[in-house]
Amino acid sequence: MEMQNSNPTILNAADLPTRLRPTARKPDHVGIFALPSLSPDFLPEASSDSEDENLLEEPIDEQEIYDIRVVLILDLISDHADLIATISDPEHPISLGELAVVSLPDISIKPTLPNVPDSPLKTVTVLITPTITHCSLATVIGLGVRVRLEQSLPPRFRVDVRIKEGTHSTGDEVNKQLADKERVAAALENGALMGVVAKMIETCR
Amino acid sequence: MAKPQISLLSDLTPPSLERTWLTAPHPTLPIVATCSSDKTVRVYSLTNFKLLSTISGGHKRSVRTCAWKPHIQGESVLATGSFDATVGVWRRWDSYGGAAGWGAAAGGNATESNVSRDSSEEDGNDDDAGEDDEEWRFAVLLDGHDSEVKSVSWSPSGMLLATCSRDKSIWIWEDLDDGDNNFETVAVMQEHGGDVKCVAWHPVEECLASGSYDDTIRLWREDLDDWGQVACLKGHEGTVWFLDWESTDNVPRGSSDSTQWREQRALSGPRLVSCSDDRTVRVWGRLPKDNQPPAMSSSAATGIPSIIRPTGTDETWEEDAVLPHAHELPIYAVAWSRRSGLIASVGADGRIVLYEERLATETDPDAMDTDSTAKLSLRTEWSILAVLDGAHGIYEMNHVAWAKRADRGSDSSEEVLVTTADDGSVKVWTLQR
Repeated sequence: MEMQNSNPTILNAADLPTRLRPTARKPDHVGIFALPSLSPDFLPEASSDSEDENLLEEPIDEQEIYDIRVVLILDLISDHADLIATISDPEHPISLGELAVVSLPDISIKPTLPNVPDSPLKTVTVLITPTITHCSLATVIGLGVRVRLEQSLPPRFRVDVRIKEGTHSTGDEVNKQLADKERVAAALENGALMGVVAKMIETCR
Repeated sequence: MAKPQISLLSDLTPPSLERTWLTAPHPTLPIVATCSSDKTVRVYSLTNFKLLSTISGGHKRSVRTCAWKPHIQGESVLATGSFDATVGVWRRWDSYGGAAGWGAAAGGNATESNVSRDSSEEDGNDDDAGEDDEEWRFAVLLDGHDSEVKSVSWSPSGMLLATCSRDKSIWIWEDLDDGDNNFETVAVMQEHGGDVKCVAWHPVEECLASGSYDDTIRLWREDLDDWGQVACLKGHEGTVWFLDWESTDNVPRGSSDSTQWREQRALSGPRLVSCSDDRTVRVWGRLPKDNQPPAMSSSAATGIPSIIRPTGTDETWEEDAVLPHAHELPIYAVAWSRRSGLIASVGADGRIVLYEERLATETDPDAMDTDSTAKLSLRTEWSILAVLDGAHGIYEMNHVAWAKRADRGSDSSEEVLVTTADDGSVKVWTLQR
C-alpha cells in the first residue's frame, strides 16, 4: 500500500512533545488506552541512567510509531477509506474498531479555525456508538477514547469525542461531560477513576 | 488611526512545565500568582517578569484557582483551590527579604512601587530572598468540599471567602482574623444543578455571583443572617466558565456627558460579564429596584413562584448584550478591565479578543415614545477592538486577567493583559492603540 504521508507537518517532532510526555509513551498493557502514570516523579527523563534508557528506548519508539500511524490514518482517512484496517495494530490487542464503538465514517478531521487559513489547529471529531447502553460505561469509554487521542495526537489537535446521535438515552449528558476540559483533567488525576476506566476497557475485550 | 493591536510584552519565566490554569494579579503589589497542574503556585514579578517564589507542598492534585485577599497591610494572603477538594490559605510578610524581596527581583526599578521604603531598609540584614520556598507560610487548610474545588474569591472587604466545587455547592467562609487562622463556615448553597465553575464577588457589595455546568448564573446575598439566591440568570446554552464584574465607575466611551449614564448606573449597580462553552460572552444588568416589572418577571427570574419566596431580596437581571461572536471553541475566561472598561476573552481556540463598549449615537429620539426614550438614549454597542490568533501558539488558553503595568515604574496608568495557557506559559500583553 502506498500511503506515505505527504503532509510533513504531521511528522514534525516539535509537534509532539507536550502531550507525549515520557509517561504517555511508556508501554501500557491496556491496549490502545494508554493511561497516564500517576507517579509524580515522571517528569525528568532519567537520561543519566543508561540502564533505564535502554529499557525505555524500544517501547517509546514503538509507541511513537503507533501514535504517528494513528495520526496519519486520521488525517488521510477521508481519502483512503480502507486504511481503517490498520488502526487495528497487531501489537495492540484492542482497536477502536474492535471496541465496536468507533467506525470509519464517524471519524472526521477539519480545520478548527476555517477563517484563519494559516492556523495549524485541527479538530478531530470521533462519534462513539456505545454497544452497551449503560450510561456510565459509555462515559468511561468516551473518556478512554478522548484520553487516548489527546495523548497520541500533537497538541495542535482539538479532540471532540461524542456519543453518536440517537444511540444513547443520555447522550447529551455524556457529551457534555466528555467535552468538559476541567472534568477530563480532574479525571486524569483521579487514580480510582482511571483504574475503573482501565478495568472497564478490559471487560470490553 | 492605526488599528489597535495586542503586542507581547513578555513571557513570565521560567514557566511551569505543565498546564497552568489561572493567574491572579495581586491587588496592590506588582506580582501575580499562577496556578499549575504541577500542584504548585508560582509567584512572578510584573516588573521584570521573573519567578519570585514557588508555593508547593500544600495540595495533592492540580491547583486550579487562587485569589489574593484584599485590604491587608504588610502581608500577602493567598487562597488556593485544588482538585484535591481542599482550599489552602497561605501567608507571606511583604517585608520578608525587604522590598527587595519583591523589588530587587522586580528589576531594581521598583522603588516607586507599592512596597514601602521602610521595609527596603530592613532588607539590609536579610537579603537572601533566594530561599523563597521558606517564605510562604501555610496558614490553614479549609476542608469541606466533596470534590474538586474550581474557584475561590474574596469578598471586597476580605472578610469572606467563597469557594465552589464540582460537588455543586458554594461555601462561604468567614476569615475570623483572630491571629489563629480560624475560618468559620457561614453558608453552604446547593441550588446549582451541576459543577459550580466560578464564583466572583461584586466589587463593593457582599453579593456573590456564580456560574455553573448547569448553564446558569446565580446571584446570592445575605438576608437576615441567611445566605440565599436572589436571582438566576438563564441564557447561556452551555457551561458558564467564568464571570467578572464591571467596576462601579465605568463609563463607556463616546459619552460627552456621562451624567445620565452615571445616574442610571447608580440605580442598577455594576453589570456582570460571563463566558461560556456556548461560545458567547454576555453582559448582564440588574433592573433598578423601582423600575422592576411586577411580580411575574421576578418569579420568572428565580424560577420560584414569588408566593413561596419573599420578593424582598429578589433581583431582576436581564441580558444586557451578547458580545459580537469571536470564538470558535469554548470560552474559558473573561475579564472586565477596571481601568479601561474593555472586556477580554480567551478560550480553547487560542485567541485573545478585546471588546469595547460605546454609547450608541441617538439616531432619532423623536421616533421613540416618551416612555422608553430615557432607556434607549443610553443604549450601548459592543464592538471587537482587537483579535489575536495563536496567542500561545497551538495551545488553549485557560485564563485572562487585567493588571497594572509595572515594568515602567509605578506611576504608569497603563494596563497589561496576562494570559495563562495549557503548555504552562503565562504571557503579558499590551494594547497599542
